Amino acid sequence: MIFWLITTLIKILIVFGVLLLSAAYLTLLERKVAARIQNRLGPMEAGFHGYLQPIADGIKLFFKEDIIPADANKILFILAPIIVVIPVLTTFAVIPFGAPIKIFGHIVPLQITNVNIGILFILALSSLGIYGVVIGGWASNSKYSLLGAIRTAAQMISYELSLVLSIIGVIMIAGNLSLAQIVSSQSHMWFIVYQPIGFLIYLIASTAEMNRVPFDLGEAEGEIVAGFHTEYSSMKFAFYFIGEYGQIVINSAIITTLFLGGWEGPFLPSVLWFVIKVFLVILIYLWFRWTYPRLRYDELMDLGWKILLPLSLANIVVTGFIMILLGK
Amino acid sequence: MEALFYIFSIIAIVSALMVILVKSPLTSALYIILCFFALAGFYILLNMQFLAAMQIMVYAGAIAVIIVLVIMLLNLAKIKGAIKDFHQIAISIIAIGLFTLEVILYLNAAGEKKPTGIYTNTVINKIGNTQIIGEFLFTKYVFPFEVASILLLVAVIGAYIFAKK
Repeated sequence: MIFWLITTLIKILIVFGVLLLSAAYLTLLERKVAARIQNRLGPMEAGFHGYLQPIADGIKLFFKEDIIPADANKILFILAPIIVVIPVLTTFAVIPFGAPIKIFGHIVPLQITNVNIGILFILALSSLGIYGVVIGGWASNSKYSLLGAIRTAAQMISYELSLVLSIIGVIMIAGNLSLAQIVSSQSHMWFIVYQPIGFLIYLIASTAEMNRVPFDLGEAEGEIVAGFHTEYSSMKFAFYFIGEYGQIVINSAIITTLFLGGWEGPFLPSVLWFVIKVFLVILIYLWFRWTYPRLRYDELMDLGWKILLPLSLANIVVTGFIMILLGK
Repeated sequence: MEALFYIFSIIAIVSALMVILVKSPLTSALYIILCFFALAGFYILLNMQFLAAMQIMVYAGAIAVIIVLVIMLLNLAKIKGAIKDFHQIAISIIAIGLFTLEVILYLNAAGEKKPTGIYTNTVINKIGNTQIIGEFLFTKYVFPFEVASILLLVAVIGAYIFAKK
């Protein structure tokens, strides 16, 4: 019992630390990738090739003046950035990041907790991310914030449907909602082979869920200043960014677990395989951002409701038929 | 477990009260989300993880979002003093009376009842309650399940027709 408690606490600390650190360093990675794509160098001043830039940014944000607009709803204004971060940090609790290891004769699974409804837990938490944006936009009492919040809310509701439906195919093949079971049922073949359409839909819909370019209508800087976080400054602003970059890590980890075989892989240690796969998916997300221009609002809704949603429904039906034909 | 039950109950009751006592509509919408979370906690205490996840996904993640969205679009400055109507008071008194009656009936009927049928707690924990819910929905309760889905479909078509007008 005590052994279990200690290992769980250590796992929580490691996951928390790595998640926050990677969220911070993703800002640097994004700037470096953007620079590479645009034929620039990116941040070079702080440390060797700018490797200390996220820390410098953090210190700068920490010492900035914290402004709360006069007409804002103070409690909700402070609460909103916290609501953004909590679901992001909680989601990683159910993601298995390595093969079970043996310490002092005890088998320790490298996953904080193995809930038997792991996928539903993730989906439930990801559906809450919207509140931080909506409440923040409303509480700021500014027209740009409110416009951004309304746009984001409409967008997230539309894309959440395809996001959830794209996973159903994986659940049908695995026959289980627990993420540890889903990873172990991919030991022979990754699910991306059986579910290529599901993978693509999840990739697109999760980009829209995170409000990243090309779906960043909620913070379109050319139209509505900065959207829902126009009025935020200092650490509250930083919290929105921790939430956004944490979400990239989380979504990459989910894709790795559901479609790319999780920590399964030959030769290298399982944790390393997991990290490599997550890193590659993160690079895809960054690549998206610096390749496509922002969609217009009606194009966004058309893509969500007229293309992705019917496609994900068709994917479920086809998967079901093939499973029956193969007699699984 | 007992302590958790009381914690969830207190959160549920207090947040439900705050929904009707708070002046600002958005704050009361947030309290109703808190209430949904407390209810999800009850489901987890009852070993119904599937229902708990659905509670948060459907109610807190979807329905409450629509409520918040509608409140955001309202022009709140216009709504000042609430209108007190005789009908409202009469209806609320009837509703409170019915609810009290229900609570009394439930408390009288309550007792130590164990789940009947082949699915005892140990069997459910072995197979997983999600599988059992799915099995029941598609065999024994397939008719009510389909009726409920037709009801939802009617609502969707209705909403579409209203939006077209």
